[in-house]
Amino acid sequence: MDKAKNVFLSCSFIYLGDLNKCSVWLISLHSLCVAFGSICLVNVTKMSAQKDCEFLVKRARELVSDDPCAAKAWLITARTLYPADFNIQYEMYIIERNAERTSSAGRLLYDMFINFPDQPIVWREISVITAALRSDSQDKQAQFLRGLFETLPGRVQCEMLLKATEQCFNTLEKAEMLLLLLKRFPESVVQHGVSLGETLLEAEASENVETPVNCFRKLFVCDVLPLVINNMDMRLPASLMQKYMLKAAEFYIGYVTRGPSPDVQIQDGGSLKSPSVSRGSQRYVIDGLSEKSSVVAEPWERLLDILAVVGARCEWQGDKGQRSYMEMLQRVKELCRYLPGLEGDTRSRCCSQVVICAALVLFRSAFLYVSAVQPALFQGVNGLSSGPWILVEDLSSVYNDVEVERGAAKHSHKKRKLADGRDKTMSSDDEEGLGKGRGRHILVNKTEMPSWSETLESFRIARESWDLLHSHDSLETEFKKICASWKTDSWLWFRIFLTDMIIYQGQYRKALSSLHQMAAVQQPQPGQQSPSVQASLEHHRALIQQASCHYALGEYRMACEKLLDVVSGLVPPNQEPTKIPEDQSRVKTKTRKGNDLRLLPCTSKAVLPFCLQLMLACFKLRAFTDNRDDLSLGHVVVLLQYDWPQGELLFLKAVDKICQQGSFQYENFFNYVTNIDMLEEFAYLRTPEGGRIQLELLPNQGMLIKHHTVTRGITKGVKEDFRLAMERQVSRCGENLLSVLHRFCINEKIIIIQSLP
Amino acid sequence: MGDIRQSLLPRDVLSAAKELLYHLDIYICNLVQSGRQPPQVDSKTLELVEEFILHAPKDRNTPARRMSALQELQLLEIMCSCFQEQSRDTVRQLMFSALFSLQGNQADESRMALLGKLVSMAIAVGRVPILECAATWLQRTHRVYCVRLAQVLVDDYCSMVPGSVPTLQNIHSASPRFCCQFISAVTTLYDLTSEELTPPLELLQMIVSWIQDDPRLVLITFLNTPLSGSQPLSSLDVTPLGGLVRWCVKAPLTYRRDKKLVLTNGSSESEPETGPLFSALHLSVLQVFMLLPNILNEKGLFGRLALLQMESLAALTSDLSRLLDQADKHTHTSSTDTHVLSQLALDRLAQALQVAMANGALLCSREDLRTICSRLPHNNLLQLVLSGPVIYYNNIHTPPLAFSPHAAHSPIASHPTHPAHTPHTPHATHPSSHPQYPAQPFIAGMPFPFRPSH
Repeated sequence: MDKAKNVFLSCSFIYLGDLNKCSVWLISLHSLCVAFGSICLVNVTKMSAQKDCEFLVKRARELVSDDPCAAKAWLITARTLYPADFNIQYEMYIIERNAERTSSAGRLLYDMFINFPDQPIVWREISVITAALRSDSQDKQAQFLRGLFETLPGRVQCEMLLKATEQCFNTLEKAEMLLLLLKRFPESVVQHGVSLGETLLEAEASENVETPVNCFRKLFVCDVLPLVINNMDMRLPASLMQKYMLKAAEFYIGYVTRGPSPDVQIQDGGSLKSPSVSRGSQRYVIDGLSEKSSVVAEPWERLLDILAVVGARCEWQGDKGQRSYMEMLQRVKELCRYLPGLEGDTRSRCCSQVVICAALVLFRSAFLYVSAVQPALFQGVNGLSSGPWILVEDLSSVYNDVEVERGAAKHSHKKRKLADGRDKTMSSDDEEGLGKGRGRHILVNKTEMPSWSETLESFRIARESWDLLHSHDSLETEFKKICASWKTDSWLWFRIFLTDMIIYQGQYRKALSSLHQMAAVQQPQPGQQSPSVQASLEHHRALIQQASCHYALGEYRMACEKLLDVVSGLVPPNQEPTKIPEDQSRVKTKTRKGNDLRLLPCTSKAVLPFCLQLMLACFKLRAFTDNRDDLSLGHVVVLLQYDWPQGELLFLKAVDKICQQGSFQYENFFNYVTNIDMLEEFAYLRTPEGGRIQLELLPNQGMLIKHHTVTRGITKGVKEDFRLAMERQVSRCGENLLSVLHRFCINEKIIIIQSLP
Repeated sequence: MGDIRQSLLPRDVLSAAKELLYHLDIYICNLVQSGRQPPQVDSKTLELVEEFILHAPKDRNTPARRMSALQELQLLEIMCSCFQEQSRDTVRQLMFSALFSLQGNQADESRMALLGKLVSMAIAVGRVPILECAATWLQRTHRVYCVRLAQVLVDDYCSMVPGSVPTLQNIHSASPRFCCQFISAVTTLYDLTSEELTPPLELLQMIVSWIQDDPRLVLITFLNTPLSGSQPLSSLDVTPLGGLVRWCVKAPLTYRRDKKLVLTNGSSESEPETGPLFSALHLSVLQVFMLLPNILNEKGLFGRLALLQMESLAALTSDLSRLLDQADKHTHTSSTDTHVLSQLALDRLAQALQVAMANGALLCSREDLRTICSRLPHNNLLQLVLSGPVIYYNNIHTPPLAFSPHAAHSPIASHPTHPAHTPHTPHATHPSSHPQYPAQPFIAGMPFPFRPSH
């Protein structure tokens, strides 16, 4: 305007002189004013258009609660007046949305999406809707929004998801969004499937997640992978398929074998107040996912599904119809026989098939075995029904005659040398495996472990798969690659299986080193206070297994040392266990050679008797050697009291030996022998009919005897002491035997250990 | 066919009518079969119908034969099954028009009477073929008679027998065509000019629920009629839209009057509010307008066929201004209440005009609208509609509204890019007038020189 003023001024100035010039100035003045005016008009009209729209929307808003029809009539009118105004259409949409009228809201959203693709409000709305699509929330609003999305034409859904994906910066959300797209529009899998998969795998790598059971992998394995491998329009290289297969396997195995979640998570849900939430029904949440989407149903079956598809697409050998892990193992076993004859691609394809299939069977069976043997390791496996079980040497033949045993004994190094000619396996080193390949029996108390046959079968299949994987170098190399990438070394549960397997194979030395490592892992963490009963039991588990291995290697002192560590931590049961008839009958009918194994429940009730038997087994051989070893013989007598009269035969043998020796010195006798039969027998031994055996059973009695041989009167006093001690001992007969023996183990620990080689 | 008269004469009224219907059926079948175009029933036959079915006196000498009520009922039943059993549409239609096409003679009265009874009965027992024929009849007949038929039906179903509305209500699924024509007829009948001409509440509720269920219902006749331009003169409108708009616009003022009457009678409690009904109906009407562009385009009629007539709108606006005057004068209730209702009527008028125009149902310029609305009092929305939307081009966020159907009438069309005035305009020489100068031409260029005062 200032410019116009200037022009006007100069114009009136010039008017005084030159009329023609003035008219030129006036023309320019006019056009300037017109130009200025049209700018004004644009602004004025723009403002009044905005005012119109605001007025219309305002009226609609005023009416909407009392007369929604009138409000809509206003907005319809408004839209015909200002079809390009966003607020009018948005207001229409909001009315329908708030009234949860799915189809009309959908129609309006569609219009907005088409006509106002750049409006931030539209995008906010779309992100709310896509969030509802991704969520598993069942609330009314989320369901409405999902319904709303369903009313849109497919093309628009597709575009919306794609654009929403573009606007998303969080990898997980982005992936979930793209996944919605892929699920709805299978044709988009070809374009986006693999890249989405790779994005997820990259995200997993770059986010430094510590477990394969993470949100990225879950999405990849459970959602993306099935879409990709089942899409027949896509041709993926076999190597990529196998890579994906292994990613899936790692996830599913990791998921199945995940440990129980920390208790903190249970408390989060406020379940402290509800006692009904037990350990078995713990909730599990994968970080970044909702509780519902953290659940993977039938993981082994899903894995098998993927394997079937990958197998078919990688042109693996074998029938497509086979649908179980067992059948799969049989198939690759047969395949393995042709392996040496194959070459090139065929061979490597065959190799991959064998290794992948056998490895999956191995891990599944090993898991099934370990979940029975040590259920508390896993989330979702009900650990309350049966506690941990320990694979140990079976000692039910410990009461057998020493001679019978000695004939077959292979645990003593000394004896092994003698037995050289008779038993070929014994000639080689221990590490070659004791009892390997001879089909060792594993004894289980069938009433205490109802699923014993499945458990033992799983153990067998796992071993078989392991053997298969180690039957050719090429297979072993491939398998080791898988193990290395999955870091199976750090899988405690798998180590438990491996240890049990090498124990089964008789490789006790190897087993021991594995057990040492495991014990180190299982030591309570420094941060945790007061290890639970469960934790101490599991610590015992390793110790007991170590003892059993040492025993099997003939290292009795080590065996007893470990055992006595265990016993000191045990509380003796209040009452003696009732004897299980099945146990007795078995011992009577079968004469075991002593190389069987047993699955022992890891409870005080079962562990203490096992410890006593194992100690007995350690001392038995020493006690009945030709050399005199009264201390060992005494220990044997004490230990034979348990499970009496199982050990009657051995006790009589001991008595024979004492008679042969003519004397017997065991100062702890009156502390730990309370068995009335034994007391009677010993009392008899001193009588003339019994052979007047010199028994030195009182503490320091030896000293006394030496001291008092001078005067007969004193000897008489000794006699009197023995009689009194005997009488007192008879009155102790009712004492709890297990408490007595427990005390024996604890008090005499040092003597016991020292008396062994 | 004339030769059968002798055989009909000796019979009693019912069997003669029956016999004639039987022969009529055969006759028309033959007619259709012969392929003569157009098939036309000869006058002899029409006379027979008048004599033996409608019982119009043949001449002054012979006394009219009369039927008892029972015989009439039997005849109606026979006619019902006759139409029901005839499978060929053409035959049915020819038969129906032979019986009921108005001939402009004295038989027409009994013709109308019988037709009313027949249609009423067809509604009661659900005879779709008769309703379909009646729908066609309603399309072809002068509106005065259509309105009479509608009146009979409304009396039968809404006034005479309480609780029989549901029977009528159901016909919208049985014969949407009939339903559509029926709506046209009742909206023509009840023009809200007087108390008697206000639709009964049951009727209103029924029509609102029909249209809410399916707004396309009001377009059925239009959709099914090949537009040859051969709409019989003075027949009903091809859609009831005009009548419905009239209802909605006038309702706030006329029903208020009723309500006031009811209030004085002291029984207002039992009367449900009609406000929400009309509000919903009005919305439905606007939604029907919104459907039109696609339909009109498909038929190639967009911009060529006006479903709302300017004349009837002009009548409506003058009615409205009369009503508003009355409301101002005779107001007994609070004046704010009157004001609110007047504004509601004007809002609805403005909305209907705008939406109809934008969707091609109303073909006129805003200038035309301003003319017919000139006598109406101030209303913001109406002003906005009459002046049209403000349009500007330079907004980057908004595309030019070239696709807007009313773009042709928008101010931009007449937006002046003033030619340069001669440099010798007197203004230029008078500095005092110069501040107004730039604004002047643009304001003058606005086709409607004021904006609503929101």
